[in-house]
Amino acid sequence: MSFDLMVIGAGPAGLSAAAEAASHGLKVAVFDENALPGGQLFKQIHKFFGSKEHKAKMRGIDIGIELLEETDSLGVKVFLNSPVVGLYKNREIVVRQKETVRHFKADSIIVATGASENLLPFDGWTLPGVMGAGAAQTMMNINRVKPGNRVLMLGSGNVGLVVGFQLLQAGCELVAIADAAPRIGGYGVHASKLTRTGVPFYLSHTIMRAEGRENVTGVVIGQVDENWQHIPDTEKHFEVDTICLAVGLSPSAQLLKMAGCKMSQNGTPVCDKSGETSLYNIFAAGDVSGIEEASSAMIEGRISAAAAAKKLGFISEKSFQKRSGELDAALSELRQGMFAPQNRNAPLEKTDEGFNISKSLLKKGYITEEEISEYPGFKPGAGIRPVIECTQNIPCDPCRDICPKGCIKVENIVSLPVYDENTNCTGCGLCVAACPGQAIFLTDDRPGKVEEGKVAITIPYEFLPLPEKVGPGMAYDRSGAPLCPAYVSKIQESAFLGKTPLVTFVVPKNMAMRARFWKAV
Amino acid sequence: MNNPDVIIIGSGVIGNATAYNLAKRGLSVTVLEKSPIIGDGGSSRNGGGVRQSGRHPAELPLAMYAIKNLWPGLSDELGTDVEYCQKGNLRLGKTKEHLDILKGLVKSNTAQNLDMRMIDYKEAREICPYLSEEVKGASWCATDGHANPMLATLAYYKAARRLGVRFITGVDVVTLRKIRGRIAQVCTADGTVYNAGQIVVAAGYESRKILSSVGIDIPMSQLLMECIVTEEAPPMFEQMLGTAMADFYGHQSKHGSFVFGGAHGFEPFATAGDVQTSSIGTSSTCRAIIGYFPALQHLKIVRTWAGWLDDCADHIPVIENALPGLTVGCAFSGHGFGISPVVGVLLAELAAGEQTTLDVSAFKHDRFKAKI
Amino acid sequence: MTDRQYIIGEFSPASDDDLIICRCEEITKGEIRRAVFDGMFNICEVRRLLRCGMGLCQGLTCGRLVKSVIAGEIGLSATALEDATARAPMRPTEMFIFAKEVTDE
Repeated sequence: MSFDLMVIGAGPAGLSAAAEAASHGLKVAVFDENALPGGQLFKQIHKFFGSKEHKAKMRGIDIGIELLEETDSLGVKVFLNSPVVGLYKNREIVVRQKETVRHFKADSIIVATGASENLLPFDGWTLPGVMGAGAAQTMMNINRVKPGNRVLMLGSGNVGLVVGFQLLQAGCELVAIADAAPRIGGYGVHASKLTRTGVPFYLSHTIMRAEGRENVTGVVIGQVDENWQHIPDTEKHFEVDTICLAVGLSPSAQLLKMAGCKMSQNGTPVCDKSGETSLYNIFAAGDVSGIEEASSAMIEGRISAAAAAKKLGFISEKSFQKRSGELDAALSELRQGMFAPQNRNAPLEKTDEGFNISKSLLKKGYITEEEISEYPGFKPGAGIRPVIECTQNIPCDPCRDICPKGCIKVENIVSLPVYDENTNCTGCGLCVAACPGQAIFLTDDRPGKVEEGKVAITIPYEFLPLPEKVGPGMAYDRSGAPLCPAYVSKIQESAFLGKTPLVTFVVPKNMAMRARFWKAV
Repeated sequence: MNNPDVIIIGSGVIGNATAYNLAKRGLSVTVLEKSPIIGDGGSSRNGGGVRQSGRHPAELPLAMYAIKNLWPGLSDELGTDVEYCQKGNLRLGKTKEHLDILKGLVKSNTAQNLDMRMIDYKEAREICPYLSEEVKGASWCATDGHANPMLATLAYYKAARRLGVRFITGVDVVTLRKIRGRIAQVCTADGTVYNAGQIVVAAGYESRKILSSVGIDIPMSQLLMECIVTEEAPPMFEQMLGTAMADFYGHQSKHGSFVFGGAHGFEPFATAGDVQTSSIGTSSTCRAIIGYFPALQHLKIVRTWAGWLDDCADHIPVIENALPGLTVGCAFSGHGFGISPVVGVLLAELAAGEQTTLDVSAFKHDRFKAKI
Repeated sequence: MTDRQYIIGEFSPASDDDLIICRCEEITKGEIRRAVFDGMFNICEVRRLLRCGMGLCQGLTCGRLVKSVIAGEIGLSATALEDATARAPMRPTEMFIFAKEVTDE
């Protein structure tokens, strides 16, 4: 059987590529080894960063559903349970389907096989209970199995932070996040989501050993110096049944390598701007061509598909230029900011606007009270207003777009959001729910709405069970330290909030700029 | 650095075995290898057969000598387990035509005193209980066997290195050069010139190009052979296996995985230089194997690979002192591994100017004549 | 060009030599280190000598780890070493499945 384009991998890059190509009239088939399409998307229950065109504030699962509707409506043939076992000469693939192998050919191939998790050997790493963070995520979010009860996460990149939060959502106890690096690797807002619930960070720490005979019963971490050498007498012991490793991803480029694509030293294929490899009409898109966020992968897939459509004569040079111009612009927006690939090893000192980047945020996972007051999203005052604790330049702007009153300004996609005091916040809470970093809160001390001397604080609350109305509890500060008793005054759930419930709790007024989390007692 | 007594071109099992045997004599040896990897050609890409049965009459004495005198002690001698297993070779037939082919082989080989005979299905089943009932008979040679070619190649490399042999990888030898009528220099693509008292060319198919620089042409072509490797299985049988039709061959390794070579019929048309497997080879080999060993059908294939063999016009090698200063060992035509220990000895003797242990006069390069 | 006479010194045992690196074939760090000292200077040679990365997972788990052990011993960065060759099938597949080819329908 033969196609204009075959896409290998039905993840974010592959499905986007298929949809783009089919929209230009190509006959497209997608092959995936899994029983369900979507790749990692259906594991990603968190909201994406970026802008509208990057599907920001949508959850991965919902993006996956949308992409599948798009490919379906365009007539893309998706072969599931169909691992591609080899990529051969003349753009031929051999695919395992049921109890046979089938041969397929196409004029063009986009390899979008994603990445696999790195592992780290240490004493005890082969014990049951040591697993990749992605594996834990699959267990929780696909198979609905709790990976363990008490978990230590190694790795503070976005994968470690996001999966760490999902472990909490699944009801696990996250005893610590450790990382050998001296600073937290992922977004500060992701780290802050964890610290305010009480998860401690151990930077410059790595795993010394896992304990246990039949399975993991504990873990010992220890401090390392700037040359990654262990510092004696710094060991810390935790009782855990699970150790998650989030120590990076490696491109799954074996098919491309097998086919004879020229490879670079970091294990990715050498590609041109459109993702075409050294082999004619064979493209690589998404993580297989370099590890990035799924948002970038989706655009890369479309860029490769548009290039394939042009090469096969489905679109003119002119319409290709127009389309690839749009896509390149969207991709370069995502590749801005302090976490962009080109800035990966740059020191984090100041934001683009010249604000000092919180050292505490990089080391401990939360911003201190003194530091937060510097930022333009943080303007304490009377009445109801958003407090935006977004302090790093990350390409993301849903808070601006969602506010019906235009209270939040984001100059360009990576700028820090600014609360404009000359507008009228109605307290609708849309920004609180929309922020993918859960970094926006509402404070409300309006007389008549809130008791004298008190303030109501609204937080995003993605945990079950939801608190009971007027439930007694404790307010916690950004570091996860208990502050004062607090009762819940309101719980909001609605379709507009994108499945992020809002919880409002009441504390004394002097806690307005400190209380950022609530737990039942 | 002083010039070595001998330079060997090619770090395959032949080159390494020769290096080892020369170093044992106290000679200084340098091995030049084109690839960055030791023994990356046919030496690491073959079915591992160590057999006498089915050999060409000229080659059979070499195989018989190696199996009698060298293979049994090789692991101990080299200090690495080369997984030599001497449990016989079954060559299987399903039809009368097959059995006629096998009978011909038996007749030819037994004429040279090889202990080999025809056996019926029942006896074959006793030797290997997993045979398909379609098998009608087999030839059987109890003293044949198999070994691990990757380990044997690296075992010779390790042992030679321990004896002081210098290995240089990533050196592309382009020409040989005579000095006053004697081959004495090796010139590489990057312009480096190496000098030695004697030069051994053991570079597989690449030997052809190198030797042509001194006027020697060995009529050989490249054939791409493909193999499959299965997951580990419990020990099932220990014999080396083949068929009358040569549609597959292989064995179960010490590790438990099966290694099988096969043929899909388009081998002569593979793109030169490319070691990619084909999209059809694995399926073809699987069908051949299942036809003889249905019990293996649920084993998983974990790996496939391909490798070139240097197929000589008459399918036997060139082993000789071809010119003053030049020793040649190439054109093994896909069955060099089994005789590599003895070829290493013979090439070392030739290079050292000694009397050879076995007669090698059948392997001269000037044997090729027009047929009419 | 690599002159294999390049001396990397004497093999000395290390405290973590017992650490398993290749889980499928149960190959330890010490075995890999020793292979390097025996002259195996790249992934391919180490694999062929020890079988690490040749098990059911096809080296997907340990490929990087083996590389870093080898690189560590010969004083190179791991990226300077060539990865193991990628070979079909990408996923272990039974012989009877390969035997049944469907070319078209």
